[in-house]
Amino acid sequence: MGTHRLFTTFALATALLSPAPIIGVSTASAQLKVVTSTTDLYDIAKQVGGNKITATHIGEGYQDPHFIEAKPSFVLQLRDADVWAFVGLDLEIGWMPLLLQGARNPKLQPGKPGYVDASRVITVLDMARGNVDRSQGDVHPLGNPHYWLDPENGRRIAKLFRDTFSQLDAKNASTYAANADAFTQRLDAAEQSWKADLAKIKGQPVVAWHTSWRYFAEYTGMNIVGFMEPKPGVPPSPSHLAGLIQTMKQTGAKVIVMEPFYDRKTADFVASKTGAKVLVLPPSVGGTKGLDDYIQLMTNDIHQLAATL
Amino acid sequence: MRFFPAPLARAPGIRAMLWAAVVLLAASAGAANAQQRDSTRRTPRDSVRADSARVADSIAVVRELERLQNEPKTPSPAQQPGQGGPTNARLLPDISAVGDLVADLSPKGSTQEGGERFAIREVEVAIQAAVDPYFRGDIFLGISDLEKISIEQAYLTATSLPWGLEVRLGRYLMPVGKQNTTHRHDLHTVDYPYVIQRFFSEEGLKGTGVYASRIFAPFGFYQEVIVTAVDRFGEAPEGLTTVDPVNKQLSGLGYSARLRNYWDLNEASNVELSFSGITGKREQPVLGDAASLATPARQSVLGADFTYRWRPLQQGLYKSFILQAEFMKQLNERDPRLIVPDDVSSADVTYGGPNRDFSGAYAFARYQLARRGFIGGRFDTFQDDTAEGRTSTAVSGYLEFFPSEFSKLVAGYERYSPAQGAATNRILLQAAFALGPHKPHPF
Repeated sequence: MGTHRLFTTFALATALLSPAPIIGVSTASAQLKVVTSTTDLYDIAKQVGGNKITATHIGEGYQDPHFIEAKPSFVLQLRDADVWAFVGLDLEIGWMPLLLQGARNPKLQPGKPGYVDASRVITVLDMARGNVDRSQGDVHPLGNPHYWLDPENGRRIAKLFRDTFSQLDAKNASTYAANADAFTQRLDAAEQSWKADLAKIKGQPVVAWHTSWRYFAEYTGMNIVGFMEPKPGVPPSPSHLAGLIQTMKQTGAKVIVMEPFYDRKTADFVASKTGAKVLVLPPSVGGTKGLDDYIQLMTNDIHQLAATL
Repeated sequence: MRFFPAPLARAPGIRAMLWAAVVLLAASAGAANAQQRDSTRRTPRDSVRADSARVADSIAVVRELERLQNEPKTPSPAQQPGQGGPTNARLLPDISAVGDLVADLSPKGSTQEGGERFAIREVEVAIQAAVDPYFRGDIFLGISDLEKISIEQAYLTATSLPWGLEVRLGRYLMPVGKQNTTHRHDLHTVDYPYVIQRFFSEEGLKGTGVYASRIFAPFGFYQEVIVTAVDRFGEAPEGLTTVDPVNKQLSGLGYSARLRNYWDLNEASNVELSFSGITGKREQPVLGDAASLATPARQSVLGADFTYRWRPLQQGLYKSFILQAEFMKQLNERDPRLIVPDDVSSADVTYGGPNRDFSGAYAFARYQLARRGFIGGRFDTFQDDTAEGRTSTAVSGYLEFFPSEFSKLVAGYERYSPAQGAATNRILLQAAFALGPHKPHPF
């Protein structure tokens, strides 16, 4: 029968295009394959793993990490990975489950050493107290996930990677330990060079677009007096902006800090009403050209802010 | 006639019961408060994490604290298994609900199935969780005025298979075509394209059976092959009965295959080109005897779909574009052998099912105007089996507004030109909302 034969031909062709399962079995690799959700985790992983790992990242530094598309090409990266490191605290909840389910990689399932939630080694800010619902915006009930913008958390992430890589690749544990120590020392040295800038920033009132600068503020001492968003993830409304302009005038806030992926026009409008400056700061490694590692990112953001205040 | 009970003072039995009730209420209030503290404030695990982070800088310390936390403890009476309530509330599955409301303001009357102007088209309740280390369970119940409660999807997914395999058992959206794999409330339009509605059903095509898929990349790009075997191809038509069920023979089951191919063109744009097919036996009418008599006849649908997406990464909150097209061809068995009851002479009946093939297609595009606003349009064309295969077309336009990720408002206009008869205009409004845990965005 014609239709049946046609369908059978299609099904057979489909099956033949799929290589036999045995062909797809990956051979043991000398290097750990690490995939991270963000460029910040990627850079720290590279610093710790050195040439003993291969690393890739899903999100780019100039992209809103909340809204990454779960593209099938990412599924292929995760299918072959030994480690999946992510920020956690629901930052990736809009896309990570699809990728992990699609990857079908038993090594990256919760509870396995390759499933690395970096948030478990940091002190979480803004953990929800009491009842939480979505009338409060796009809240993260487990806490604010933008913690990498505090260098202390950068150190902790490096040590987490050191321990994870050592567990999965014990023969190179000493290399991972040495690399993590070297990273920490570079970060310590960089912190010394930030002191003058931090002194300028401390206590200065600023407005931020999103709650992503809370950890940065904790570290630098900048005083966030208001947010462009009325609630996390909710675009600014005219009434909110009117109130924010009043707040800025009362507090003397002269800088609006925002990420490169938000619409600058709204911030420019508020700045025009208050005499403030709009400072577009990259929140992640690669957020602007030339910021290729974590220490450069922190140095740039602290210096840019101090220079603008 | 007395409507009031006797005074309590004169009813010592009742008074004793009242006191007992007060004591029980107080006890349960205490328990409720304790639960409130546990669920709305920091859990012991949260405390462990925060405390550990203050004093430690290494995963090793966190592990030590987690080990201490997991050491056996004497459970409080409220935690004793078998005394009511969950032993661990954290093991509750994710429960979410989606409401799908439509209004049909078409000038010549409602075009909805039930003729409503305002309708709750469906409420979908989803219950999802890991079953154990080997399986995941997903249950989607559909609630509507027409169908009451129905099992939309319910499947068990094996999560620990080797070689990139995924196997599902249960009921699922059939992986045939692109839009059919999307829940109706997640579509960018109010309804499925006409070709899906006509070849499958208004609610798309579901199947109950076995689903197996594998991802691979022998040529350097993403490919996935999905094959299924399901109880039958589509739902049984109302008012038609065959002598034996269409799936009496294994050849009468529904079988489908889909090959997905995906390419990243650059970091902002990508393309998917996929091919699907399904075959099975379906009930087709037999003319000349009882109106309900039917005979099994093979029907197959082959299709190809194309999707282009553009979304610049840095401006991705504000700009995006999708272009999608899908073509399907329905292949029907010609004059199949009529299987009729013994008391019906085959000479007295004739085959009343389709004796030709039909095809249909749609093209859809959507452009993002602003962070929360989108504009889209769709062109449908299909050979109408109720009009001797003549072509019907529809052109529609949509405005979508997303107040947040969890709510959607759609306004649509459609001009439908049937193969025979006058063209009609449809004006549709839709509001959809989601409650519960944050679900991944479909790609």
